[in-house]
Amino acid sequence: MRMLAIAQNTFRESVRDKVLYVLLFFAAVAILGSKALGWVSIGQDVKIMKDICLAALLVFGVLISIFVGTNLIYKEIDKRTLYTILARPVRRYEFILGKYLGLSFLLGLVTLIMAAVATAYIVSMGGTIDSVFIWAVVLVYWELLLITAIAILLSVATSPILGAIIVFCVFVLGHATRILVDLPPQLDGTSTKQIFEILYYVIPNLSNFNIRSEAANSVPVSLSYIGYAIGYGTAYAAMLLGLASLAFEEKDV
Amino acid sequence: MTELASKAIVTRGLTKVYKSLGARPGPSLEDLNLEISQNEVFGFLGRNGAGKTTTIKLLCSLLRPTRGEAFVFGESTRTARARRLIGYLPENPYFYEYLTPRETLDFYGRLQGMKKAAREAEWEKLSALLNLHDIADQRVRSFSKGMRQRLGFAVALVGDPPLLVLDEPMSGLDPMGRRAIRELIVKMRDEKKTIFFSSHVLSDVEQICDRIGILVKGKLSVAGRMKQLLTDKINLVEVVIAGINEAVAKSVAPKSESASTTEGEFRFRVANLDAANELVHETRKHGGHLIEFTPVKESLEDYFVREQGPTS
Repeated sequence: MRMLAIAQNTFRESVRDKVLYVLLFFAAVAILGSKALGWVSIGQDVKIMKDICLAALLVFGVLISIFVGTNLIYKEIDKRTLYTILARPVRRYEFILGKYLGLSFLLGLVTLIMAAVATAYIVSMGGTIDSVFIWAVVLVYWELLLITAIAILLSVATSPILGAIIVFCVFVLGHATRILVDLPPQLDGTSTKQIFEILYYVIPNLSNFNIRSEAANSVPVSLSYIGYAIGYGTAYAAMLLGLASLAFEEKDV
Repeated sequence: MTELASKAIVTRGLTKVYKSLGARPGPSLEDLNLEISQNEVFGFLGRNGAGKTTTIKLLCSLLRPTRGEAFVFGESTRTARARRLIGYLPENPYFYEYLTPRETLDFYGRLQGMKKAAREAEWEKLSALLNLHDIADQRVRSFSKGMRQRLGFAVALVGDPPLLVLDEPMSGLDPMGRRAIRELIVKMRDEKKTIFFSSHVLSDVEQICDRIGILVKGKLSVAGRMKQLLTDKINLVEVVIAGINEAVAKSVAPKSESASTTEGEFRFRVANLDAANELVHETRKHGGHLIEFTPVKESLEDYFVREQGPTS
């Protein structure tokens, strides 16, 4: 009840944020522009369009998640709006989870709108939408949920700018975790290798959520894999939110 | 525990030291021991930075104490149960700018765990009490200081908490706004609520408080009944005499602390009533007549300044 009240309010606040519409505008431009790249690759139109649409969904979703998420808790502290909220019988973890839930609703809505636009566009260009494409969208959303959890944790602990930089780095590295362990042999036994190894285990493996090329090529993906990816994302996000709640519990506001 | 529960607020050794990098920080609040009875209006005084807001934030569980503990009606302030009993008005309250007062009160009603019908009834009651009807559907963004304060008071009253904790409720308000808040506090006292409020507007405190506490540099310097602290002792007597000349004034002046003239009148400040009576008697012999005779009692301001020590 209390958590939902906070979630609804967060959703309402974000929906009234102008940044959201700027990002949605660019997402639409990217989706509609995907046709241009389709032209240069003869006979591959729909495949390229699907690929670009899914990538646009992810990139713009991540931008929203970073811009809104890293600000979420920080802004409440900075603007002192949370004084009167935390002085109510609200538990601190309820506040964190409420904020997270609100932003998750928003990202769900944004993903849904962008996916609907992409679908309509692809269909109008003579393509078809199959179940792999839909699952690819679902996994993009799950990746966004995980990124948002990282952003919230950092929003409790650091300033929005530092938080945004860290989330962005995690996003980039998370898509290329193999790089962290496939190091040249010259680095064997050095501390650099150790640091990269630690990072490999700490940074979530975001390529788990990437079935976009399968979707573009209409290659079926097993349900058990999708289940694994969703389970991985949920567990990781739950852990991060737990950490954020712990950090927030003792925080002086 | 029963004794704890009978008090609205009890703090024991409440101490807050802010962590900071670099220089060794001094405590913002040191070993605060307070007991506030139910249905009392307690004025919490002190200069800026004395630790008033720190105390209030500790009571509302916005800060975690470094040492010590605090209870509200016997409940530790760290529990959600205690927070249900507190209506908190921060200094310069901030609310979501994109909400209207109606939405804001509804939101806080939900946080308090109230059902929809109860929230609607609460809106009717509080909007009438604080005169929010005319601004019910305006976004908070456009609000003046006075409007925000009214809304803040309404938010503090959501859920009818028995204890109101108000941080500088009159600061930054115009005389009308100050008066409105003062009247509200009195009204809440009549409704058997306990009110704990900080202020540095001493005249407001003097008018409405049963007891006061004065914080000096994070330590409670004194707490007690206003009437006990401000004794009825007469500090000095001001006497104004007309119809005498300067020579006469000078001849009686050594018996008074000071004398000054305005428009043919002489104003004397005398230490006590006996000396004042004697002065009147003396001047009468020289044809003077009494214009004004004012015994001056200590005001809260005098007391406050005395407790604070020299200004720095």
